[in-house]
Amino acid sequence: MTMVMANTEIHKGFIDVRDMGVVFGANDSKVVAVDNVSLNVQPGEFVSLIGPSGCGKSTLLSIVAGFMKPTRGEALLDGKAITKPGSDRGVVFQQYSLFPWLSVRKNVEFGLKMAGVEQSKRNTTARALLDLAGLLSFENHYPDQLSGGMKQRIGIVRALATSPQVLLMDEPFGALDTQTRVVMQEILTNIWQQFRISVLFITHDIEESIFLSDRIYVMTARPGRIKAEIKVPLPRPRRAEMTDTPEFMNLVQELKGLIREESLAAMAPEIKDRGLSGFGMKVGPKGVGEIF
Amino acid sequence: MGSLASAKIVVLPMADKHPDLEPAAAAKPAAAETPAAQAAASSHAAVVASELPVPDPEVIRTASLTQVFWNLLARITRERIITVALACISIGALFLFWYLGTKYRLEFYIRFKNVPTPYEVYQQLTQVGLSNKYLVNIAISVRRILFGFFIAMAIGVPLGLAIGKYQRVRDLFMPVVEIMRPIPAIAWVPMSIMLWPNNEASIVFITFIGAFFPILLNTIHGVHSLDGVLIRAARCLGASEFRLFLNVILPGSLPHIFTGLAVGMGVAWVSLIAAEMISGQFGVGYFTWEAYSLVDYPAIVLGMITIGFLGLACSGIIRMCGVLLMPWLAFAPGGRR
Repeated sequence: MTMVMANTEIHKGFIDVRDMGVVFGANDSKVVAVDNVSLNVQPGEFVSLIGPSGCGKSTLLSIVAGFMKPTRGEALLDGKAITKPGSDRGVVFQQYSLFPWLSVRKNVEFGLKMAGVEQSKRNTTARALLDLAGLLSFENHYPDQLSGGMKQRIGIVRALATSPQVLLMDEPFGALDTQTRVVMQEILTNIWQQFRISVLFITHDIEESIFLSDRIYVMTARPGRIKAEIKVPLPRPRRAEMTDTPEFMNLVQELKGLIREESLAAMAPEIKDRGLSGFGMKVGPKGVGEIF
Repeated sequence: MGSLASAKIVVLPMADKHPDLEPAAAAKPAAAETPAAQAAASSHAAVVASELPVPDPEVIRTASLTQVFWNLLARITRERIITVALACISIGALFLFWYLGTKYRLEFYIRFKNVPTPYEVYQQLTQVGLSNKYLVNIAISVRRILFGFFIAMAIGVPLGLAIGKYQRVRDLFMPVVEIMRPIPAIAWVPMSIMLWPNNEASIVFITFIGAFFPILLNTIHGVHSLDGVLIRAARCLGASEFRLFLNVILPGSLPHIFTGLAVGMGVAWVSLIAAEMISGQFGVGYFTWEAYSLVDYPAIVLGMITIGFLGLACSGIIRMCGVLLMPWLAFAPGGRR
């Protein structure tokens, strides 16, 4: 089956985040989650956002998706300010987000149904996408009958069904085991190769970000700022063997250095001063009185 | 279901096209598709058999199929026999207790002196059981239940969805709900007689009160327990507010709504019988109470058993609707086994 819904308008899908700041809470409990972040995703580009946990990368994605508003700055899609969720931005979540009461095919059809597309057309599109994900034979199964990797593949094609201009992915493979993850990454590059839409991909996995992306933004620990922007010059299409090449290794090393600093900073300051060697139980509690 | 049948047809040709299926998932659907797989395997065997000079292939095929059949039957029957045996023991023990108690007229704090024997109740059933009076009483009770219950459902479910979804609706309705909820439906009897123009309406109202709160509260709980990521996913896929209700919040809350309906039906019967006993004319509750007034002891037990069966039938129907409307629950983790 041919992909009829590929992104032919390659000039669309430009994400522009400008001077964004996000502050949670007020006064004493104020937490600056994201501080002065500017980034962009060019049309048809695959961009990863990587950083230690709690650095606000998911917050950034929520803003681009339209789930929340930034405290300062703005997020634009093709020059228009993002104010609410919409089918022009497909979102793949870390948690499995398939509707358990719908069959696999009905899940993929959901966005088209919301858009008022007629049943026969929905059906054709959904089946083409499921075929692409290698899951056509499971079209009438319910999500609870599938493995985590299969659910995420369906989540990806469901997000693509409405032909969005951009795809936002929030650690979509975070809940999967390592083997499944690697396979999923390959599947994702293949799918992306066919659609050529802009992707903003959140992860904390260094190899994953290099393997998938054209460009990587590295974020600092809270408050999240952009620490570095790294281009990935590896050729397309990406193959699993590329992870063994020196270029790939060098990028991994470079990113590891950047991330390690931030991961340490994200932990308690004492640990940062002492280094990780400073870990270990010093003295246990002497008696019950000390515990309570 | 047509869709399930087509699944079975599609699965087989695709099976060799995707050899890299995750084992956990591949195993589950494979298990689910066994009947289809068997059918295909046997038809495949038939094709092969017609091409190759295998001596007497039919015998081999029948033998293996009967084997499978007997194994299956043996497994089903063993499980079933145990289930049925235990059911017989539990009901039989009750009857035995009743029978022995009435036979020897036991007097150990509880008194079996006036309790009718099972045989007397059986006689009562054969005499009264098909009489017009008895059947009319049943029909009237069922009608009151249906009215009260369906009105409670028609109001409780939409209101529960709205309260669950919107903070402001919640703020508006929950205070009054919290005040009204602890008042048992039976306590509404005098007020209900004053409020409503006739007896029938007041009994239906009491039945409604009984069913309403379990349905409402479970629906609210259903909305609250719905995973937020599903709502976000639906909004990303372009769902309007109305569509969100219809296509996400309603089906997502359905398991809890059905819990509410089942509980609501139980409470509706309790309320109905109490109302009929106090203020009724007609109805199974009235039948039972009237029997007591007329010192017709076997009819009391007949009334009780009738109430039990009607309640059982009603909750059975609700459970059946639940199974039919929510086929996905068969696969949900920790769901039906």
